[in-house]
Amino acid sequence: MDIFASLLQGFATAISPVNLLWAFVGCVLGTAVGVLPGIGPAVAVAMLLPITAKVEITASMIFFAGIYYGAMYGGSTTSILLNTPGETASMVTAMEGNRMAKSGRAGQALATAAIGSFVAGTIATVIVTLFAPTVAEFAVKLGPPEYFLLMVLAFTTVSAVLGQSTLRGMTALFLGLALGLVGMDQISGQARYTGGIPELLDGVEIVLVAVGLFAVAEVLYFALYEGRAVETQNRMSRVYMSRRDWARSVPAWIRATFIGAPFGCIPAGGTEIPTFLSYAVEKKLAKGSDKDEFGTAGAIEGVAGPEAANNATVTTALIPLLTLGIPTSNTTAILLGAFQNYGIQPGPQLFTNSAALVWALIASLYLGNVMLLILNLPLVKLWVQLLKIPKPQLYAGILIFATVGAYGMRQSAFDLVLLWGIGLVGVLMRRFDFPTAPVVVGMILGPLAEAQLRNAVSIGEGSPRVFVERPMSLALIVIVVAVLALPRLYRFVQARKQRPALLPHGGVEP
Amino acid sequence: MKQHPTLRVETLVGALVTLTGLGLAGGAISIPGEAGYGGVGPNFLPWMVAVVLTLCGVLIAREALTGGFRDMEPPSGAERGWWPGLVWVSAGLLLNAALITTIGFILSCTLCYLLAVQGLRRAQGQRATSARVLATDLASGLLISAPVYWAFTKFLAINLPGLTNTGWI
Repeated sequence: MDIFASLLQGFATAISPVNLLWAFVGCVLGTAVGVLPGIGPAVAVAMLLPITAKVEITASMIFFAGIYYGAMYGGSTTSILLNTPGETASMVTAMEGNRMAKSGRAGQALATAAIGSFVAGTIATVIVTLFAPTVAEFAVKLGPPEYFLLMVLAFTTVSAVLGQSTLRGMTALFLGLALGLVGMDQISGQARYTGGIPELLDGVEIVLVAVGLFAVAEVLYFALYEGRAVETQNRMSRVYMSRRDWARSVPAWIRATFIGAPFGCIPAGGTEIPTFLSYAVEKKLAKGSDKDEFGTAGAIEGVAGPEAANNATVTTALIPLLTLGIPTSNTTAILLGAFQNYGIQPGPQLFTNSAALVWALIASLYLGNVMLLILNLPLVKLWVQLLKIPKPQLYAGILIFATVGAYGMRQSAFDLVLLWGIGLVGVLMRRFDFPTAPVVVGMILGPLAEAQLRNAVSIGEGSPRVFVERPMSLALIVIVVAVLALPRLYRFVQARKQRPALLPHGGVEP
Repeated sequence: MKQHPTLRVETLVGALVTLTGLGLAGGAISIPGEAGYGGVGPNFLPWMVAVVLTLCGVLIAREALTGGFRDMEPPSGAERGWWPGLVWVSAGLLLNAALITTIGFILSCTLCYLLAVQGLRRAQGQRATSARVLATDLASGLLISAPVYWAFTKFLAINLPGLTNTGWI
C-alpha cells in the first residue's frame, strides 16, 4: 500500500507540465539518438550533463531517463532498416529484423519491436516499482565489504564476461580505474596524479571521457576507415501486424520480458546475454514454417523476443542503480554521474532521503513508455527521414554538441584538446576491439569501490578476513569466482569432449 | 622475418599500455601510504592499477608477438586508414579548442564543423571544394551552432563563450 501511495505521489510530480515536457523532450531526443547512427544514449546523456548545473534534479533525471529508454525504441528502427545496430542491445534485433525488411515486412518488424518494447518496458517498470523498495530495504543491511564485492562483481562482468577478450576487457577496466584515480583522494584528501595542475584536483570529467570515447572517436573513425563503406537501406512498408503476427509476437514478448528482467536486476548487466538467450529460446520453440523463417525470410519472434528482452533489461537495470548505486552499463554509469553532480549518491538511502525524486522518476517511466509507443508507431516514417541526413553533416554536427558537453562542464579550452586526445584513444580501442564500457564503469565506480574497500578493511581492523567472515560477502566472492571460472571450465570441458571425437580422423594425438 | 603491419601496431598498443602502467607506478611512488588504522592507504589502488596495467600491457604485447590478438572481431571499415580524413577532423577540433575563447562558441564551432565536413566529404570521395558546397556547409554549420548556443546559454544558463557580451553571438 505504501508503494502504491508513493507511486501516486510520483505521478503527481511527474505529470506537472514542466516535468511532462522534459519527459517528452527526453523521449523525442532518445528516439532520435537511437535512430541516428554514431550516437547512443550514453553520449547523448553525457553531452547534456552540463544542464545539471541549472536544471532542477527531478526534471533533469526524468529527461535523462527519457533519453535512456527512448534510445532503445529508436535503436530497433536503424537495426531493421539499415542492419547497422547502434547498440549491442539491437544486434540480435538486426539479425531477423533486417531479413524481414528485405522480404518486404519492415512494417511488421518495426511494429512488433515498438509494441514489444512497450509491453516489456511497462512490465519491467512494474517490477521496478514492486521490487526496488524491497531491494533498498535489504541493501540497508549491507556493509562496506558487501558493497565493495558487489562493485567487484560489476567490474568482473563488465570487463571479463561481456567482451570478446578478458585481457582487453581488463585493460579497459584498469584504464578507467586509472582515470578515476586522478584528483583528490576522497578519504585522506591526498592529491593523486594531478601533475600539479589545480584543475585536475577535481578529477577528470566523465563527460570528457564518455563524449571523447564514443562521439569524437566515432567521427574520427569514420573519417579514417569508414568513408567508403556502402550502406543500403531497406524499403519501408505499412506499419501493421496481422492476427497471425500478433499470435506469434505476444508469447515472445512475455517470455522475453521474464528472460530480460532478471538480467537487469543483478549487478552483472549488459543486454547481450538476455537478447541472445531470448533469440535462442524463440528459435527453439518455433515450429514448422515459422521455424523455417529463422535465418531466411526473417521470423517475427526473432525480433519480438530480443527487442522485449532488451527493454526489460534496460528498465530493470535501474534497480541496481537506484538501490545499490551500481551502474551496469555505459548509460547507467553516466546517469550515476548525473546524480553525483547534484551531490546525491544513489543507494538504499535514496528511497528514504530522496523518495519524491525516485518515485517521480519511476512514474515517468510509465508515462515515457506510452509517449514512446505513440512516437514510434504512427510516427515511425518521420524517424526514418532522419536516416536521410548525410553522414558528413551529421557527424560534424555531433562535434558541435560534443563541444557543448566538454566545454560546458568546466569552461576550459584545454578540455577540448583532451577531448580530441581521448577520441584518438577511442579510435585505437575500436580498431583493436577493446571494449569501452569498462572504461566508463571503472572510472565512475572506481573511487566508490576504493572508499568501500578502505572502509571495509577499517571495520576489520586492518584484516582482509572481514571479506570471508561475513556470509554475504563470502557468497559474493564465490559468485565472482564462479563468473570468472565457470565459462572457462565449460569451454575446457567442451574442448575435452570434442578431442576424442576428432582423434580417428585428425590423428593428432601421439 | 618481417612482421605484418597490423601485428606491429598491436605490439605498439601493448607497449603503450605497459608504459601507461609504468608511468602510473612512477606516480604512485610519490603518494604517501599512511593507512591510519585501516590498513589500506591512498597509494594502494594506484599501485594495484599500475601493476595490473603493466601486466596487461606485457600480455597484450606477447599476444601480438605470438600471432596477434586473440578472439578479435574483425574491425569495421577499410583495411588501411585514410589519414587526410583524420587530419581534417582533428584540425577542426584543435582549432576549436584554440579559438573558442577568442572568437566565441558560434564562430569557433562553425569553423570546426566546416573543417570536419570537408574531411568527412573527402573521406567519402565527394567533391568538397566547390563554392556552392562550401557555402552550404558554412550555412549549415552556422544554423546548428547558433541555435545550440542560444538554447544552452539563454534557456539552460550554461556558460559558453561569446564573441561579444550581447549573449547572441
